[in-house]
Formats: sequence, structure tokens, C-alpha cells
Amino acid sequence: MSTDLDPLAGQRPAPRPHDFSKPFWDGAREGKLLLQYDPVAGRHQFYPRPVSVFSGRRELEWRAACGKGTVYTYTVSHKAPPPFKNVSPFVIATVELPEGVRIMTNLINCPPDRVRIGMAVRLAWVKAGDMNFPVFEPDP
Amino acid sequence: MNDRGIAIIGCHETRIELKSGRHVYDLAGEAMAGAIAHAGIDKSEIDGLAVSSCFSDAGNPFYSIVLASYLGLELDWCQITDLGGASACANVARAAAAIRAGLCDTVLVLAADAQSSENKGAIGAFRSEFQYPMGIMGPPGYFGLLSRRYDHQYGLDLKALGKLAVTQRNHALMNHNACDKLRRPLTVEEYLASPMISDPIRMLDCVMVCDGASAFVVTTTARARELGARRMVHPVGYGERVNHLEAEQCPDITQVGHSAAGARAFKAAGLTPAQIQSFHPYDDFLIAIVLQLEHLGFCGIGHGCRFVMEHDLSWRGDLPLNTGGGQISAGQAGLAGGAHNLAEALRQLFGEAGERQVKRRDNALVTGIGWIPYGRNWGSSTVLILEAAQ
Repeated sequence: MSTDLDPLAGQRPAPRPHDFSKPFWDGAREGKLLLQYDPVAGRHQFYPRPVSVFSGRRELEWRAACGKGTVYTYTVSHKAPPPFKNVSPFVIATVELPEGVRIMTNLINCPPDRVRIGMAVRLAWVKAGDMNFPVFEPDP
Repeated sequence: MNDRGIAIIGCHETRIELKSGRHVYDLAGEAMAGAIAHAGIDKSEIDGLAVSSCFSDAGNPFYSIVLASYLGLELDWCQITDLGGASACANVARAAAAIRAGLCDTVLVLAADAQSSENKGAIGAFRSEFQYPMGIMGPPGYFGLLSRRYDHQYGLDLKALGKLAVTQRNHALMNHNACDKLRRPLTVEEYLASPMISDPIRMLDCVMVCDGASAFVVTTTARARELGARRMVHPVGYGERVNHLEAEQCPDITQVGHSAAGARAFKAAGLTPAQIQSFHPYDDFLIAIVLQLEHLGFCGIGHGCRFVMEHDLSWRGDLPLNTGGGQISAGQAGLAGGAHNLAEALRQLFGEAGERQVKRRDNALVTGIGWIPYGRNWGSSTVLILEAAQ
């Protein structure tokens, strides 16, 4: 199957950040996966929000994730919406981080028949437009 | 709610069509005209409107007022509900609450969308930030993630999903409102062989987006009697859960909000799942039916597929299910899709379901689902229990 625009090859639409999520994307530029942390609740949260989902407070810190994770669930996508077209089957996974949050993203360097729930994965980066976008890959 | 003080006295569903080219206001007009004729009332009786939001006029921040104007409605209460496919059931409850609060007397509950002809939706939010760049194929992608996890925890019986697909398709064959393209027989083998969209979600797991509208007339039972209403169904229990387990950052994504919404609705109605005579669950994907069977208490958690295999879910079975074909086999009228399940439940309770009329029609259970949040199952869950008037 020909691949006109491959979601795994860095040809992705750029994310459109909000003002309150800008630190996440600034961190991504430096290769850091930043999570919001509520120091009162002692818990991380993801995706970025204007308040703590635990307490409603706005006193949130940004802390870098360690970059490890495990696959909570996955799907092998045989189609992708525009601007992607003619994709080969690719993997989308929900990755659980030891920081206590989950991220939905692609698994790269991972043939679809290799992915398993519970599989150890590690952080990697690809380009989305001119921005760094976090993905994961098998952690050998 | 179970004092039977509120009554639904008429309803109308348009035909569900793919790319009809019709405007959402025209679909809404057809639904309203049909509903007031069915109720046998004059339009001037309507002093309240509860409408579902839609994709096709989504750019209009004054949608409900503008729509009311096109329909020639002068109102004392006007409400738009944006719980997606959960909005139709939600609006019956909102209408009942508004009537009981003395804000109005007779409400038109309306759901219309022409999403397959015109879609002005621009959801944005975290989707344009974290989801679109990964190339996920919309709802089938999210339900692929959900189905894979369900399979891991409990085992997903594809034959059970195939049986649901075929049961609903057989019902659509008897429903003249169902989308023409879907009104052809289906086998379990064809379900299993349908193209993979987002493994394990196949094409025949999914709804097809169409155009259509439904309208319902809700008033007090006392007013219904004064108006000489020829038919009456009472909403007797309702529950709603928005953003189930929201603060949990690593929830079990097979846990859905219908557990909470269902418990509230059954308690209000004084009924148990075993007493439900027909079940009309919101069906954007087949697995959503399995999860709702479990979380509403028809069976244990993880036993949904077994329940499907052990029961006759056809219109003449022990638990008739989505006897109009559901949205998967009748078509999903955009954000008005959830009103299809409600319209079919009412047709059954009114005794107007024609050749697919269920025998036991004292009550029916209808549900709604709307919105897909980040990394979970669905954002809104509604449960509505209806009883035919004695």
C-alpha cells in the first residue's frame, strides 16, 4: 500500500496548544514530557487543564515524566482521517506512566503484530508540523 | 418522577437518510408537524422547547432560538442540550423538570441533524492538541482502544457482536424509517468479514452518519387528559452521569456511567432490570450495547457477551432490543441519533410498531451516550424508563 502521508514519519498536523498548555509544548521542544502536578493532592494529571481535577485549585506545577510506561490498551488503525491518506496499518496505544496518568499516542518502531497489553515502552519524539510530538516505542 | 404526573403524548420520527441534502430546520419542521399531529394538539399548546445541539448548524450560537423562530414557536422556556446522543433522553427529563417547576406546560423535545449533508462542527479542545496529530480514525479508533481492553479483561465474543448486528439488522428490515442503504439482510459471517477500521473495530461495528429528526410532545398527565390525548407514556425514572470517574487518571475504561445513571433511574421507577420489557440502548458501536447490559445490571460485569448469546433479543424474544434496528442498522442522524432509540421505545409502548410490535409493552428502557473524552469510554450516559399509561 502506498503511503502518501505517514503518521509515523513525522508528517502530522501540528498540535494547536492552548495558553495554559504552552509549557507542555515548550517542554516537548527540549525533549521533556511535562505533566501537571497538584502538590496538595500529590498527584499528576494529563491532559493539561486550567485547574487541578482533584481539588479545583490553580496552583499546579509542571514536572517531567521519567519517560517509561506500559501499554494499557491499543488499536491497530487501518484508516486515518485527513490529512492522512493511504496509511499502512499503524498502532495507537494508551500508555500508562508510573506517574499515574495515561497518554494516548502512537507506538513507533513496533510492527502491529508485536504490540501487547502490558508491554514496556519508552518515550520517543516525532515531528508534528514544526513541533515535537510525544510517542512511545518498545523498551527492549 | 414515578407519580406518573408527566406524559409523552405524541412523537414523530422522519425517515433516516444518507446525504439527504435537506436543511436541519426542514427536518426539524417535519418532525414537529408530525409530533403535534400525532399528539392531536394545536401548535399553540407548545410553550417550551428542549432541543439537542447538532453538527449541521453548529456554527450558530443561537441555534435553539433561531430554530424556534423557523418553527413559529413563541416560548416561555427554551433549552439547548449538548450531551450529544444522550440529549434526547436528557431533554425528556429537562422538560419534565421545567414543567414541574412551573416554567411552562407543554414542551416539544426535538432532535434534528443533517450531519451527513452538512457538518459545521469544530470540536477542537484536547483533540486538536493531542489526538489529531496521531492520526486516530475518530470514534472507531477510540472504540478500538476500548474494545481491545475489554477483550483483555473479559474476552470479547465476536459471535455475540455478530448476533447483535444481525438482530438489529432484522429489525431495520421491518422499519420503514430506517436508511435505505442499510435495509438489506445481514449474516454473522458478513459481520465477521467486514473490513477492519481500527482493530478490533470492524465497519459493521459502527454506525453510519445520516440525516434525520425526531420530536416528542411532553406535558402533564392532567393537561394531557384535558387535551383529550389519545395516547400517553409516562417517564417514571431517569438518571444521568456526565464525565464518569473524571478525576481518576487511570480508571478502568470498561466502567461506564450507565452504572450510576441506571441505579438512579431504576430506583426512581421502582423497577429492576429483570422487569424491563423492551430495551433500546444507544448504539454507536456494538460493544456499547454489551457494556450497557452489564452496567445497567441485566447481567454481571464481563458477562455481556454471554447474556447476548443466551437471550432472544429479537422483537418477539424475551428481551426485545432496539426493535427499530438501532442506529447501527437504521442510521445515525448525527447528534439526533439518540432520539431514534427513544422514538422506537415510544412506538412500542403506544402499540404502533406494526409488524415488529412487542407483546409485552408495559414499560421500556431507553439510554443515551454522548461525546468521547480523552482516553476513556464516553462522556455522557443517560437512562430513561418509560411506562405505558394504564
